[in-house]
Amino acid sequence: MKKTGVTITGLVVLIALCVNINSCRKSDARKGPSSLTFNIPAGFPAPAYDFTSNPLTQEGFNLGKKLFYDGRLSKDGNFPCGSCHQQFAAFATFDHDLSHGFNDQFTTRNAPGLYNLAWHKAMHWDGGINHIENQPLAPITAPNEMAEDITNVISKLKADEEYKRMFVAAFGDDEINSQRMLKSLTQFMLMLVSADSKYDRVKKGTATFTAAEQSGYVIFQSKCASCHKEPLFTDLSYRNNGLVISNFLQDFGRMRITNKKEDSLKFKVPSLRNIELTFPYMHDGRFYTIDQVLNHYATGVQNSATLDPLLQNRIALSTTERLNMRAFLKTLTDSSFVKDSRFAE
Amino acid sequence: MKNRLLAPLLIITLTALTVGCSKEFSGTGKPVKPDEYNLALDFKPSVDSLRLKLDSVYTNIWGENYSVSAFKFYISKIDLINTDSNKIYSINAENYFLVDAADSTTWTVKLKSAPFRYNKVAFIVGVDSLRNVSGAQTGDLDPAKGMFWTWNSGYIMAKLEGKSSSSTAANNKFEYHIGGFSGPDNVLRKTVLLFPFGEYSEVLPGSSSVITIKANVNAWFYNPHDLKIEDKPVVTTPGPEAKAVSENYSKMFTVTEISN
Ligand code: HEC
Ligand code: HEC
Repeated sequence: MKKTGVTITGLVVLIALCVNINSCRKSDARKGPSSLTFNIPAGFPAPAYDFTSNPLTQEGFNLGKKLFYDGRLSKDGNFPCGSCHQQFAAFATFDHDLSHGFNDQFTTRNAPGLYNLAWHKAMHWDGGINHIENQPLAPITAPNEMAEDITNVISKLKADEEYKRMFVAAFGDDEINSQRMLKSLTQFMLMLVSADSKYDRVKKGTATFTAAEQSGYVIFQSKCASCHKEPLFTDLSYRNNGLVISNFLQDFGRMRITNKKEDSLKFKVPSLRNIELTFPYMHDGRFYTIDQVLNHYATGVQNSATLDPLLQNRIALSTTERLNMRAFLKTLTDSSFVKDSRFAE
Repeated sequence: MKNRLLAPLLIITLTALTVGCSKEFSGTGKPVKPDEYNLALDFKPSVDSLRLKLDSVYTNIWGENYSVSAFKFYISKIDLINTDSNKIYSINAENYFLVDAADSTTWTVKLKSAPFRYNKVAFIVGVDSLRNVSGAQTGDLDPAKGMFWTWNSGYIMAKLEGKSSSSTAANNKFEYHIGGFSGPDNVLRKTVLLFPFGEYSEVLPGSSSVITIKANVNAWFYNPHDLKIEDKPVVTTPGPEAKAVSENYSKMFTVTEISN
């Protein structure tokens, strides 16, 4: 008798728990999204992004990730963001100077890696996009990239039950609009933080540079770091590093945005994190190897009215210095970032 | 014995039932369109004295024939003014309205104003700089409305598009996408409109007033700057030309009627 009493009450508890779990499942949407923390790596400055206007949530991030890898954001279904931004290449296009877009067309610039974007004040090589949330509008509507129309994309999303569910989970109701799509894509992109390279571990004191890496680092600090500033490895300014203009692309960089002569041939200083993985290099992907880049700084820098003063005398490097520099640059590869399953398709 | 066991178990059960789901989500609040208004600006897309019909042919001051396929502009920062007492009532600054000639439901801008007699209205043609730099927007500012530049962030404040045999551009098209929110080529223009002589908009509790405003396409082509389609069929980037066009179109409005 005693035994059955316990068993029965035990059963009631069990049933209650089950009901509870089920009701939670059903009311997931009403329960609201669970917040995600954005960790600022030690030594990093304050991010440029205002997180209060778009609080990170697990559900917002999940939705953003689904959108990032969804071909339906493009006209013919073949060009999701992830087709040009590949995780194993630190979200650059692997081994392509220019990337493939809709209808056998190419982009007009090299796709940069996507990481640590929360620190960027403006997007693209010319900084033409003043807010990360508006960035996706550019590839989605560019005829040579995803070639779609925002209204079409939204109606495709609205027609999909899975998206309906995910928008409810992320935003509390089933309204699907461009603002919510952009904010969730942004949440995914903001979370792409790369700060676990050997360089970072050395800074933390949990790894040590080899002799070659260490001397490479010293040269880097004296010759490159004023533009490729630690810890982001860019100061995010626009500069002309002396590349000869390509006759084919006729790309004057920042001048197209500001209409100012003094901005001619200036481009956003790219981060050198994961540089081993993001080749080819420069805004048009003209150099395939670090050696070619170092050659450029040593002998190829072209003088012009807007050439950066720091490069007036070029950057001479001896053979050993080059070897060491390359060894150092490889310590910027963040293999846990490119394998992080949170960001994988 | 049984009861002594049951009581605590029941408490556990009840707690189990209540704990998990206690957090309620507060919702995100959709933008609410005011269905309670007491004042309306009723824009009438026009060509001089005629009501604009898309794709009909008109003539500008330079004798150039043209037809219009798109005519849209933003209105924001609306002030209602009484010049007798110098009272100004500012409508909530966070309101942005896109008036689109192709969609008559957008012509009437519904507002809620403090009850008073007004004889002047002022507004900005365009979207102020803050909204141009604050990321993804919604409502009339949704980029899906086709009034946002994607590669050089910023709103197109006003758009006039069509065909003209005078145009030297492909397919005889002409295209004026006017924007630019900062620096010397800023196109944000404040328009101040006096009502017809002696007329007042009477905003009273419980009644509404309608201010009819003509938006004249032909005003785009002159005063203070001559704009001939033949010379300049395309202006689609911020800069001095866009600024000049904005100085013309900011004069396209006239209050034609007040009805209380
Ligand atoms: C067809 C290839 C392609 C597709 C598809 C594509 N991108 Fe890109 N992405 C590029 C190229 C090329 C650039 C450089 C553009 C420039 O600077 O003018 C770029 C730049 C960016 C940048 C700016 C990074 C920086 O450092 O300034 C972000 C962010 C970005 N893309 C995100 C996305 C998102 C999100 C999507 C999907 C909505 C997407 N991209 C789809 C090729 C692509
Ligand atoms: C005056 C500022 C400046 C200095 C100094 C400088 N760089 Fe750069 N670097 C730039 C700019 C700007 C670009 C992008 C240029 C472009 O694509 O038009 C760039 C691009 C690069 C790239 C290509 C990155 C990519 O993802 O495409 C590499 C690699 C690079 N620099 C390495 C170095 C090294 C190594 C040094 C020191 C020997 C150095 N830079 C010194 C400004 C500078």
